[in-house]
Amino acid sequence: MAGSETVIQEYPDIAIRLNVNGRDYVVTVKPYERLIDVLRYKLGFTSVKEGCGRGECGACVVLMDGKLVPSCLVLAIRANGSKIVTLEGLAPEGKLHAIQKAFLDTLGVQCGFCFPGVIIATKYLLDRVSDPSDEDIKNYLEGQLCRCGSYLRFIKAVKLAVKYIKEGKIYFDLKEVKG
Amino acid sequence: MAQVPEYVRIVEEVFERYRGKPFVYVGTYRQRWDAVAKVTGKALFTTDFLKFYKNVVWVHSVRTKYAHAIIKNIDVSRAAKYPGVLRVVTAKDIPGVNDVGYVIPDQPLLATKKARYIGEIIALVIAEDPYVAREAGDLIHVDYEPLPVYTDPLQIVDLDTLKEKPHTRIHEERDSDIVAHFKIRAGDVEKALKEADVIVENKYRTPMQEHAYMEPEAAVAIPEQDGGVTVITSTQCPFDARKAIARVLNMPQSMVRVIAPFLGGGFGGKEDVANEIGSKAALATYLTGRPAVAIHTREESIIGHSKRHPMVTWYRHAAKKDGTLLSVEANIVLDTGAYASLGPFVAWRATVHATGPYRVRNARIDTIAVYTNTVYSGAFRGFGNPQVAFAVERQMDILAEELGIDPVDLRLKNILRAGDRTVHGQLLTEEHGVGIEEAIKKAVEAADWYNKRRLYTRQTGPIRKGIGIALMYHGNSIGVEGADYSSATIIINRDGSITFRTGLTDMGQGAVMGLVMIAAEILGAPPEWFRVELPDTSSTPDAGPTVASRSTVMGGNATLVAAYKLRKRLNEVASTILGCSPDDIEIKAPDVYCRSDPSRKTTWNEVVEQSFWLGVPLQEFGYFRAPKARWDEETGQGEPYITYTFGAIVSEISVDIETGQVSVDKIITAYDIGKVINPIGAELHAEGGSIQGMGYALMEEIIHDINGVVRNNNLSTYYIPTIKDAPEIIPLWVEAGYKRGPFGAKGLGEPSIVAIAPSIVNAVSHALGIRFNEIPIPPHKIYLALKREGKTRL
Repeated sequence: MAGSETVIQEYPDIAIRLNVNGRDYVVTVKPYERLIDVLRYKLGFTSVKEGCGRGECGACVVLMDGKLVPSCLVLAIRANGSKIVTLEGLAPEGKLHAIQKAFLDTLGVQCGFCFPGVIIATKYLLDRVSDPSDEDIKNYLEGQLCRCGSYLRFIKAVKLAVKYIKEGKIYFDLKEVKG
Repeated sequence: MAQVPEYVRIVEEVFERYRGKPFVYVGTYRQRWDAVAKVTGKALFTTDFLKFYKNVVWVHSVRTKYAHAIIKNIDVSRAAKYPGVLRVVTAKDIPGVNDVGYVIPDQPLLATKKARYIGEIIALVIAEDPYVAREAGDLIHVDYEPLPVYTDPLQIVDLDTLKEKPHTRIHEERDSDIVAHFKIRAGDVEKALKEADVIVENKYRTPMQEHAYMEPEAAVAIPEQDGGVTVITSTQCPFDARKAIARVLNMPQSMVRVIAPFLGGGFGGKEDVANEIGSKAALATYLTGRPAVAIHTREESIIGHSKRHPMVTWYRHAAKKDGTLLSVEANIVLDTGAYASLGPFVAWRATVHATGPYRVRNARIDTIAVYTNTVYSGAFRGFGNPQVAFAVERQMDILAEELGIDPVDLRLKNILRAGDRTVHGQLLTEEHGVGIEEAIKKAVEAADWYNKRRLYTRQTGPIRKGIGIALMYHGNSIGVEGADYSSATIIINRDGSITFRTGLTDMGQGAVMGLVMIAAEILGAPPEWFRVELPDTSSTPDAGPTVASRSTVMGGNATLVAAYKLRKRLNEVASTILGCSPDDIEIKAPDVYCRSDPSRKTTWNEVVEQSFWLGVPLQEFGYFRAPKARWDEETGQGEPYITYTFGAIVSEISVDIETGQVSVDKIITAYDIGKVINPIGAELHAEGGSIQGMGYALMEEIIHDINGVVRNNNLSTYYIPTIKDAPEIIPLWVEAGYKRGPFGAKGLGEPSIVAIAPSIVNAVSHALGIRFNEIPIPPHKIYLALKREGKTRL
């Protein structure tokens, strides 16, 4: 409001170290910047999507030291020294991870905005529960909102991914995938 | 009789020629062209483009604190001095017209005199950093004189008379806060009422629904060397956005280039808001000469973009003892909020569909759209039809109950069949494809309707099951709302690969894949050979807006026309190579051969190469303009739409009477879409529409408090269905064939939500024996109703 004094302050630059998808980065950030800002705008990992900025939609989830976190709720400085995995790092260049292949094969792609989060959350699930039930899948993916309504395909996709992994098919050659 | 244009003749010829024949690509399950990009995270949505630009400025919108107030003064001096702020923009900085209204020019980009809803933008802060921009925004001081806030349309008008009540005018520049009034006058309602054995009269309310697409609105603007501007923005209507931005910047449209990259959902919500957000970013670029980005937070998205119109309505149905409908009357009030947006068009579509897919000879319908101080309402999947379908389908169930007739039988008695006239006097023939009877039969059979209906009628215990049906029809494309044209370009490159361009946006549901399959079928080349170029006003042809379920029909027809012309030329070139007649040429790329003698063959690439040598152009532009619609303003008689999609939905639910919690167990959808072009796209529409419709029925409602402040402006307070809510969904198809659709196809985008909510609510009413005439029905409302009726006992 007019009349009240606002303290205008310069925020310091802080250098942080991140390992993203197996590569080390040193980035300069402001103390108020979020991990999602750094990943998207400073490092270019734009598979990390911002849908709400409040940890409610699941579009921005990444694996941070193996934990599933909404990157919009993590201050960049808090992520200092951590290992981050985004969708870009799920498979080596030119390959598709079994989960990605399964999401392709179940033909559930619509707008695709929620897909990076859904696929990362599935990875988190399969890292913990190797053969999940429908209930497990729903519990682990409940935080991943999809407004196009591909939910039924997600369940099919997770099951297909389990099948691929059981068959030892962890990676698929991207060139062999029609699309 | 006007001459039938060539493009119409082509569509009809192809429909007849392919009818009943096996298809190569159409109707097959195929991977979408964009699927790999989307599962690898490479697909670029609007804000992702930021990584390619440096020196970007951020645009923050400063919004009103009052939902209805006179703006007496705006003081930006302190914000302008804030470190990192480049400029604060108010209305006087706009070089062109300060308006982004879609249908009527009633909506300023930046408010000057008045705030009319809580999302109203007063000023823009342009800064080096988004956080700085937001902080500086708080330093803008506005003097307001608050006015009375109206959040319910019945504060503005009376439902019985549809006349304005005394109130402080929201749009003081207009004569009235009633934006639009549409009517149907058919037959003799008074006479019908006298002859009636049963009259059913009720009031209904449907909520303001939020699109809640996962990608909030955004725009990135880039300055061009000649003073023009390129705007990348999440829009369904790039050409409309260009028009609006050009007006704001006072530039010719040729200087404004709008690119619509992948959309993170649209559902109608990304029509007019792109005019606003695109203009904001473009204005910042214009004023600073630097790339600019505007991104709405989820909260801004919810308070600042159009919604599904809340509806209040009164309906009266009259019928004979045997169930024959005699008349329908309705007073329909749509709350369009602070601005008209697409309100007048929504009101018109609601009016057209106000009697449902039934034979109604006597009708009086009055629909008005009124301003209030709520967030403005506009386009949302269904476009006025889900609101009236809810009321009509509840009426039909209540009528069935009063008459002691099964709801399915009552509907079968009254549905439209080929040879019938709609309430507007439009004669439906075989050429339109009228597949509703077949749709009902398929859905009812798959649901085991009659058994379950009986079984669920007398239940005890805490969990009660119910089964409900609802029907719908939905006019395809935009009817009399505007210039109904579409276009597409197909380019066969010298290496045989194919470039496909259209100005229609794929909101995510796969419409463009359907177009590619249509082109592939005609050309004889696999869909995988096509590269789709996303809408860009500088290269893709103006295909009209991506709205009204028009992509497959209108875009499909334009695509079909382009492919047809190319195919003709390819056949001629192949004929010169192979020596058989052009009509004898079969293309199954990479093979090209004579049908009469398959040993005489060449290749796709050879035909393409020869075309270049022979001077046969392999680029083609396809255009289609829908036959002109007719509508009499006084009587609502005419031919409002080219054709209709029909559907029958059966929903099964369980209610826990101790908590009021409904779980939807199964939804069976049977739609007549003429011809299923892309089956996976159609299934996903049926699934997605069902889930969104389930949200509409059970949980979704934007709530304004008495001050016009939105109480649930994020995704933890505005509930949408999650994976745990998703029921089993069984999509069934009827392919009645529409003569002027590509291979007979009709639209499905909007129809897929229209009758979901009434089918669910009919099922809940069946389970509990309680009439619910308002949605949503969250657990507390159901529990209160159970308590009120003394039905909480197990």
